[in-house]
Amino acid sequence: MAHKVLVVDDELPVRDLLNDLLKRESYIVTVCPSGEEALELLKKDSFDVVLLDIKLPGISGLEVLKNIRDTNKGLAVIMITGFGYNEDLICKTKEFGCSGYIGKNMPVAQIITTFKQIVKGAKNEQ
Amino acid sequence: MGVRFPSPALLNMSLTIKENKGIPYDLLDNAGVIVIYLNVNENIVFCNKRTEKLTGLKHGDILGANWLKVLFHNNSSIIKQDMFKAVLDECMRHNREKDFEGIILDNEGNKRLISWNFTPVRGENNQAGGALLIGHDITKIREAGNSAKSIDETLKDILSSLKDYALYVINLQCNITYFGMGSEIMLGWKREDIIFKHASILHNCGEAGDNLDLILEQVRLSGKFEKETVLLTKTGEAIPVILTVNKFLGSGGKHSGYIFVAKDITERKKLEYQAFQAEKLAALGLLSAGMAHEINNPLLVISGRSSLLMKEKLSRKVKNDLDLINSQAERIHKLVDRILKFSQKTKLDFGPVDVNEAIEFILPFAQYSNLPNVKVEIKKNFEKDIRAVKGDLHQLQEVFLNLVINAYQSMPEGGEIKITTESTGDLFALIQIQDTGIGIPEERLKDVFMPFFSMRRDGKGLGLSICHNIIKSHNGSIELKSQVGRGSTFTIKLPFI
Repeated sequence: MAHKVLVVDDELPVRDLLNDLLKRESYIVTVCPSGEEALELLKKDSFDVVLLDIKLPGISGLEVLKNIRDTNKGLAVIMITGFGYNEDLICKTKEFGCSGYIGKNMPVAQIITTFKQIVKGAKNEQ
Repeated sequence: MGVRFPSPALLNMSLTIKENKGIPYDLLDNAGVIVIYLNVNENIVFCNKRTEKLTGLKHGDILGANWLKVLFHNNSSIIKQDMFKAVLDECMRHNREKDFEGIILDNEGNKRLISWNFTPVRGENNQAGGALLIGHDITKIREAGNSAKSIDETLKDILSSLKDYALYVINLQCNITYFGMGSEIMLGWKREDIIFKHASILHNCGEAGDNLDLILEQVRLSGKFEKETVLLTKTGEAIPVILTVNKFLGSGGKHSGYIFVAKDITERKKLEYQAFQAEKLAALGLLSAGMAHEINNPLLVISGRSSLLMKEKLSRKVKNDLDLINSQAERIHKLVDRILKFSQKTKLDFGPVDVNEAIEFILPFAQYSNLPNVKVEIKKNFEKDIRAVKGDLHQLQEVFLNLVINAYQSMPEGGEIKITTESTGDLFALIQIQDTGIGIPEERLKDVFMPFFSMRRDGKGLGLSICHNIIKSHNGSIELKSQVGRGSTFTIKLPFI
């Protein structure tokens, strides 16, 4: 069964690209531009994975993650960021309970592979 | 030569002497000097109270006694007595006044320095009548003089102790007339080698320094020169100083030259420069992080879209172009990664690091950057069992790797890389990586640790700035010395654990 993915990114071209990339990999994708909207969508619908940008206008990706974890410990949440590999950020996101971390500076093929691995790992944990 | 004085005959009446109303004996008695009158037999026929006080003898015991026995009553030094006797003999024989200084002991055994005046006295018919001895106790005056002398010496000591200050004086012809100990230390000249040389020898620094004539002109006009400038050492090195120049006023307040006081501010300059560099790098770090984030997003879209297009059915030409777009985007991604790495405060995992092992570990990797058919010899000069430094192993390895690669790349014609490790004192390990490569021009040395500085056409210019940041986060220091055509030497200091 295909996984349902919620992509949260404030930049439209990035959102669209992630949408297209994941759809090609047979994921069912929903996109939204802000943390507030993401939390609303998560209340209404159920998803298997959230691909969440860290730097968002309004409430940040980290706050959204914290919010999700308050109510849903099992949902796979993957953080994605333009800051690339950043140990401080990785530590912080782990502390907040994210399932994995993707840098936007990775080659596209690697982004997809990493995404799949994290989802697989998260599912196994469940 | 004689003095007007009561005749010896009169004085020989001794005990009745004070009753002679024609002579102001009271005055002599109370004089602040020792007054002794001797007859031809060298016995004392008159002495004043000061003599009694000095010797501790009573008036009655002094009168009629041999003068030497009285004066040396408290000290039987034959040698000194002989000296006094010789002076008196000369005085009497040549009928000539004698002035001299002699020490006698007072009744408490203290040395008294007396300035004596022995005057022969001629009696009637110009016959020898005896001698008048007048002694002025100058012990206190001389002590004061001595202490004045010791102020002189203290001043000398102070000047010698001012090792951080170069103090020198020049005359109006600009010749050096005084060159203090601090000057010797700071400027490398021995006093005897520089004295009377023209002072321009210390000031001829070209544009970096201040012209001696202009300095003196300013002192003449405004009374003082005070400025940060540079001075030349004997070896021609220009050292930064704060220089103060004043008029030198000789005796009578006459303008007789100029006094120069220079404080070496090399260390302060170095720290200022490092702080300035650090600030600049920190600001650049923040800027780069923000910039990197802004680049990564659109770049992801470019590379993502071109990867997706690649999967479509397209002509070979278009696919080639897409491939190019992708590879170029990848190049930018990598550059951004380097910038991010530079800007990030990566958490350090501090532990004991053996610098020798860390360098050994990276050498095989560094060798990959050596160009084929280029002979580069590695010389290791490691201090055996050097103490561990406090550091993050991986980060320090990155620094060493960067520097050794740098050395390889600076020698396209081949050469030698010398790596030295040694302890400097108890606190630091010193690591030197020296190459015989192309070197860096002096005017560009200050920029080498700035991001995007590179001497190579294909260089990103981030390696050294990353090294700088890492060493700084280890509370160490990194310096570069280089000469075009001769090579470069990186010197790293890292604190021991």
